[in-house]
Parts: sequence; C-alpha cells; structure tokens
Amino acid sequence: MNAENISVIKVRELLMVTMPSDPDDPTISALQEKVLNAMERHEAKGVVLDISAVETLDSFFARTISETAQMVTLMGGRTIIAGMRPAVAVTATELGLTLGTVETALNVDRALDMVNKPEKQA
Amino acid sequence: MTVTSPGEMAIKTEGDIVLVRRTAREVAMQTGFGATDVTRIVTASSEMARNIFKYAGEGCMRWRTSERDGLPGIELEFEDHGPGIADLNLALQEGYTTGEGLGMGLPGAKRLMDELEIRSQVGKGTKVVLRKWKRTLQ
Repeated sequence: MNAENISVIKVRELLMVTMPSDPDDPTISALQEKVLNAMERHEAKGVVLDISAVETLDSFFARTISETAQMVTLMGGRTIIAGMRPAVAVTATELGLTLGTVETALNVDRALDMVNKPEKQA
Repeated sequence: MTVTSPGEMAIKTEGDIVLVRRTAREVAMQTGFGATDVTRIVTASSEMARNIFKYAGEGCMRWRTSERDGLPGIELEFEDHGPGIADLNLALQEGYTTGEGLGMGLPGAKRLMDELEIRSQVGKGTKVVLRKWKRTLQ
C-alpha cells in the first residue's frame, strides 16, 4: 500500500479525498502533503475527507487528520470529515481521540450540504 | 464456534503494524466479537504495535483465545526487548507521553479492553497483555 491509495479529486471548488480502509503509516503521512499540494494546485476552498471505508482510527491516524485540517485552515480552506463508521466513533471516543475543531458530517452528501452553508461558530 | 489456534508474529516494520491490525481483526472476528468490539480490539492492538515499533524498534505479538465464566475471549500479548518503561504508573496516566504520541496509547488501550496487564524492566523490555471477553454467548 502506498500514497497512490489515497484518491484526491477536485469537485467544483472542493477536494474530495478518499481514504483506503486500512492505510499504513507512510500512506497516512502522505495524506498531509498530498492534500496540501492539491489545495494549492487546484485553488480549492476546502477538503472533504471521506473516511467511510476506514475500519480503524488510532491515535496516529487521528492526529494526522487533525493536523492536516489545521494546515488546510492556515491555507484558508475548510476541512470536513465525512462518514465515520459507528464502531469507529465509539472506539475513538473511548480511546480519548478528538479531532480538535474539525467539522464532521454523517456522509459525503451531508458534507457537501454543509459547504454551501456558513461555517458553524466554534 | 471456530477455535482459533494461537500464534505469533514479529513486529519489525511499519507494514507489520498493518499486519497486526489484520491479524487482531481476524482472531477477534473468529472469536465471535461484534463489529464494535472488533474495532476496539484492533485499535488497541494498533496502539501497542506502534509503541513497539517506535520505542523498541522490534518485538512481537502473540495471540490466543481464552475463556472466562463460559464466555470466549481473546488474549493479545505484545512483547519487546526495548528500553522498558521506568514509571509504569506514569505511563498509564492520561496524556503522558515521551514521544510525539498523544499519550493515550496505554490508558486508551486499557479503556478499550477488559484488562491490560503490563510488566516492564528498564533496559530489558516490556510485555503488555490485553484481554477482552464476550458479554454474551451470542
């Protein structure tokens, strides 16, 4: 498995990023660079990170997602995490993981709805 | 019920962390755990495997199924011969980390499992045993 497994597609002014079900650490690390470069290249307004296939979200993965979202914010973009599975949400909470101030959506469809609405106040 | 035979695998590379997750998932599913418990077990295993890779360089995971009060369970043992942990109470504390981790590896894994047993000797290594049992037979 390598960085090629992360799909980054530009849809209108957004980047749609799809994570594979069980990425290794180098793949997760590659996420950051890939997303940030794509932000610049495509002049995207934000990122929708689809994690609906992800079966395990451990502390390393969660930290990378949260850091990537912070970096996207620094670049003037917005990040929405979409499609966390129920079992992953339960486990992440029990493990003590937080995604910081990253916005979340039930699925990609809802994430796209959110983009058309003003950003919620923290 | 499928009886999973015990086994052992080495943890030496980053790729092995993925293999640990796959193996833990398979053993947990064969033991009959539901989706949420499988995810808990796999996530705890991932934290332990990464600890080994990051702090000890290499180690191994051993797995076996067990039984308590007539209910099947899983036992995962993570052993390394790394630097060891000087203060176990501190390592089990929320938010404590010596690396770039979030400091939730051990306390987090403890919350996800029913039992976490840890033995460590500075300069000799660390052994962590994780256990979880099914709540009901079905």
